[in-house]
Amino acid sequence: MARDPAFHPPKSPFVEAMAIFLGNRAAMAGLIILAVVILASLIGPSLYGVDPKATVNAPFLPPMEDVASPMGTDYIGRDVLAGILSGGPATIMIGTSAALVAVLIGITLGALAGYYGGLIDTILMRFTEFFQVLPALLFAMVLMTLFTPSLRVTIIGIGLVMWPPTARLARAEFMKLRNMDYVRAERAMGARDRRIIWRVILPNAMPPLIAAAALVVGVSILFEAGLSFLGLGDPNIRSWGEMIGSNRDYIFDCPWAVFFPGIAIFLTVLGVSLVGDGLNDAMNPRFRER
Amino acid sequence: MKQKLFFAVVLVCSVVVLNFFLIRLAPGDPAMTLAGQAGGADAETLEEIRRTYGLDRPLAEQFFVYAGKILTGDLGTSYYFNLPVSGLILERLFPTLLLVLSSLVISVGLGTFLGVLAARNPRGPLSYIVTAVALGGYSVPTFWLGQMLILAFAWYVPIFPVDGMAGLRVRGGLNQIVDVAWHLVLPALTLGVAFMAQYSRVSRAAMLEVLDSDYIRTARAKGASEPAVLFVHGLRNAILPVITLVGLQLGQILSGAVLVETVFNWPGLGRLALDSILRRDYPTILGILLASAVVVVVINLATEAIYRSADPRLRSGGRH
Amino acid sequence: MNRLTGIAAFVPRALRAAGLAAALCVSAQIAPAEEPQRGGELVIGAGYTPPSFNPAVQSGFGAGVPGAQLFAGLVRYDTDWTPQPYLATDWAFSDDEKTLTLHLVDNATFHDGVPIKASDVAFSIRAVKENHPFKTMLEAVDSVETPDDGTVIIRLSHPFPGLMLALSPLLLPIMPEHVYGEGDLRTNPHNLQDVVGSGPFKFGEFVNDRYLTLERYDDFFIEGRPYLDRIVIQFVRDRSNMALLLKRGEVQYNPFTSLTLREVDRLSGSDGLVAVTEGYSGIGAINWLAFNMTRDPWKDVRVRQAVAYAIDKSFITDVMQLGRSVRATGPIAPDTPFYTADVALYDLDLDKARALLDEAGYPADADGIRMKITIDWIPGTIEFGKNLAEAIAAQLREVGIDATVRSLPDFASWNTQISSTSDYDLSIESVFNWGDPVIGVHRTYVTSNIRPGVPFSNTAHYSNPAVDDLLERAALETDPELRRQMYVEFQKIITEDVPLHFLHVMPYHTVQSSDLRDLPVGIWGAMAPFDRAYWAE
Repeated sequence: MARDPAFHPPKSPFVEAMAIFLGNRAAMAGLIILAVVILASLIGPSLYGVDPKATVNAPFLPPMEDVASPMGTDYIGRDVLAGILSGGPATIMIGTSAALVAVLIGITLGALAGYYGGLIDTILMRFTEFFQVLPALLFAMVLMTLFTPSLRVTIIGIGLVMWPPTARLARAEFMKLRNMDYVRAERAMGARDRRIIWRVILPNAMPPLIAAAALVVGVSILFEAGLSFLGLGDPNIRSWGEMIGSNRDYIFDCPWAVFFPGIAIFLTVLGVSLVGDGLNDAMNPRFRER
Repeated sequence: MKQKLFFAVVLVCSVVVLNFFLIRLAPGDPAMTLAGQAGGADAETLEEIRRTYGLDRPLAEQFFVYAGKILTGDLGTSYYFNLPVSGLILERLFPTLLLVLSSLVISVGLGTFLGVLAARNPRGPLSYIVTAVALGGYSVPTFWLGQMLILAFAWYVPIFPVDGMAGLRVRGGLNQIVDVAWHLVLPALTLGVAFMAQYSRVSRAAMLEVLDSDYIRTARAKGASEPAVLFVHGLRNAILPVITLVGLQLGQILSGAVLVETVFNWPGLGRLALDSILRRDYPTILGILLASAVVVVVINLATEAIYRSADPRLRSGGRH
Repeated sequence: MNRLTGIAAFVPRALRAAGLAAALCVSAQIAPAEEPQRGGELVIGAGYTPPSFNPAVQSGFGAGVPGAQLFAGLVRYDTDWTPQPYLATDWAFSDDEKTLTLHLVDNATFHDGVPIKASDVAFSIRAVKENHPFKTMLEAVDSVETPDDGTVIIRLSHPFPGLMLALSPLLLPIMPEHVYGEGDLRTNPHNLQDVVGSGPFKFGEFVNDRYLTLERYDDFFIEGRPYLDRIVIQFVRDRSNMALLLKRGEVQYNPFTSLTLREVDRLSGSDGLVAVTEGYSGIGAINWLAFNMTRDPWKDVRVRQAVAYAIDKSFITDVMQLGRSVRATGPIAPDTPFYTADVALYDLDLDKARALLDEAGYPADADGIRMKITIDWIPGTIEFGKNLAEAIAAQLREVGIDATVRSLPDFASWNTQISSTSDYDLSIESVFNWGDPVIGVHRTYVTSNIRPGVPFSNTAHYSNPAVDDLLERAALETDPELRRQMYVEFQKIITEDVPLHFLHVMPYHTVQSSDLRDLPVGIWGAMAPFDRAYWAE
């Protein structure tokens, strides 16, 4: 089973990885959770048909007391289930976009550092360290306050504090792969650095990065929720975190309006983490060989 | 090591520079915030405030004044309280350290214990439970967990206090220690859960690798008892990733503390940070960012030193 | 003493009776008169840590509550707007109303034991004039003379009817010159630590963001007072924590409660707690809807009136606020001497609103929409800002105004949009009257106070020469009845012009233990000395 990738560039690692992934029960559970969450976010709002912003029922209505509001209502009579269904897209969108920002920055810097090494590596790694000594949430909080919170600021703010681990991982992968025979072969054929970095090494470095990216999505969702909870998010975005934050003052009167959005975040992050772990197991050759 | 120290100093300096300019170049007028806090403002008051706080000077000049003061250990004066920032930070250091170290003990102790048990039989039910708990702890929003714990154990079943770090009427002696410990239970647990999850994962993975090694096989063959094999022979060799994680956790002290301290009314640095951000108290924010950067740099250096002494390969001057 | 001046002497009798009834109501609710008990400790819950405990440099209740315990004032107020002797035993105005002579008690000392002298009073007046954020409050004071240690003569450049109100401990704390006289008062370290005051309680210990303790001052100049031994102010940021602490009896007094009305409703009457509504008439907090008169369609009075007719005020006070608030009818708060309810009220009338909009040239389109607008609210004010904005947006849709609630992240951005760049349509704001109209009312209506960047200035950009003239004269009028007539006239004009539409009086509550007696419920409420407060049984 053991192959030396130095001599045979992996032909279809994805197919093989997929097989392992599909055999992983935890990962499949995660995938199912995620599928349900995404499906609910996509078709839930129109299927359920209740306006999440409007007062549709008596305030502080406990769950199941009125069939019209199965998860109860919040402090101004907004339907909690409608809020959760419509808060899903916002939450997931922010989570994935922020992760995308983080991964793009991380891969770019990590790739350059790992590929070129030397001075470039030193400089870029010092730069990475610099971002790592700042407490991530605190720094994101400062960014959110300095630049009026909006969707864009939230995404960039979270992305900016999230990239260093990805950069380190990418650097390690590039350092490992840059001396592989097939890379050397490309170089001997006169390929330019740009091509080698993006076309030759990156596809082979992708598997562990994808797994790491999935985990970044989970953390980003938690971050967005935390910022909203602290009252530093964009109050116009009705995400799950915002639901928790705004209903928190009424926690003893409608605990369900805090409980359910929290469960939604928990399940989503759990799903993402399970899938991320599964991907990691499937795509990380070291584990694959076990 | 000398070089590392040098870079550490450079790192801290760049934190100072970046944060200063980031905060000053951002939109929004601190003078307006200051005036608003006093209860109102007119143009003259604004002018006066700018003069008092040196906000009317050129930015570069403001920076050199600030940097010069830092060199003498003066972090400036809080816009809000008109008190030295260093004093405000020192005041909050103890509550935060108490909270973070307690949660560290909980998370490292429990997490590693569970991880080791799980590694013993990677396909057994315990292993799955540990993995599930670990992922669960990792996925749960900290602040939400804290809020739910308050709801359960302070509202429905009122057994734990919520008035911050200590009761007002309890003073002195053993009573006070017990009182603080009682106040500490819910926040430390909340903060500990997320990290406990990570410790159990990391220690499980590390143990899996170690248990497979010749070294352990030898220990077993020599007839060492199972607990001894696991916790003495095994853990000693699986401890490195745990140390790394401790370093990482301490480095993120404030991130976790902000949320938990807010939920539990805990009078620590995290809450000071949030309050200062909401009050636009820029000198205090700068001070906290600087202090935490210094702490992280020191911890990184310490972790590395410990790592060196714990890892035989590094000790023998191996690859580094 | 020839004439007690100030607005207080001419409070309408009916109003005074109402105030009395309210006061009786509170004491009836608690218990009949009994002998005050010495001793005990009171734990007060405060929602935030103020940057200073000295009301000379800091307005608001965060500093006002402890400030009135730490510092005595020249006069004090009960429920009826009549000044009562405090540090001053008696006082008299000259006939031209430009000189006020006060005599001080002779046994008063600061908390460091140094006797309180007239020179300290003169210093305090100068210091407050220079440093207090309310610039109009002591603007009229020209000079202060101290012929002897027990006499203070205040000379005014022009008659100023609001002067007596400004002599309360809340607005003019008497500070020792030997402690606060050095350097910039605003950055004096004794504002926050080791405060040396003159009031019934002296500074104990302050642990930042945790608690402030105040100890009984045994040499207080009023014999036998205060009754309580100790006051602890606990700072509790989080609303749900505050509710828990009150429920458990760990906090026994929470003025200006940050709890939601529903929480107030639930807590009062149970767990040994009561909710008191008295004590908030002095600040006179009104929640209103401001129109941005720098842009269309709000330049047209008909559109403003239409919006006023389209808003259901009784829904707000009776349903949303559980009947715990009352309607505000004009720029002056009810329960104050110059108030009149005889103004244009704009009771809900959707047809009239639609007719006015048609007339102004904003017909409904095919979807029934006449215009698209935004509504802002002050960040942080959820129950009386955001929730109200959302309710009003829903109500305006009924008449074809498509309103979106805009939520700004923090006070600074709100201030930029509303007062600096005037980039808004409607804005929900709660603003304090602060007793005399000169202090808190004029600022939001006079043309001269259109000041970009200054919060709570005339941000609606309302400008009416008749109003400017009226207010200018009212500020100088010393005959209370004439002055009252001017303010009645002012209220009528404003409600006709609708630069702002008045929604309700802020329903502030004090949640407190039912065993507490005689905490101040006067015009300044908890921002007054607690020397008479005691624990029953």
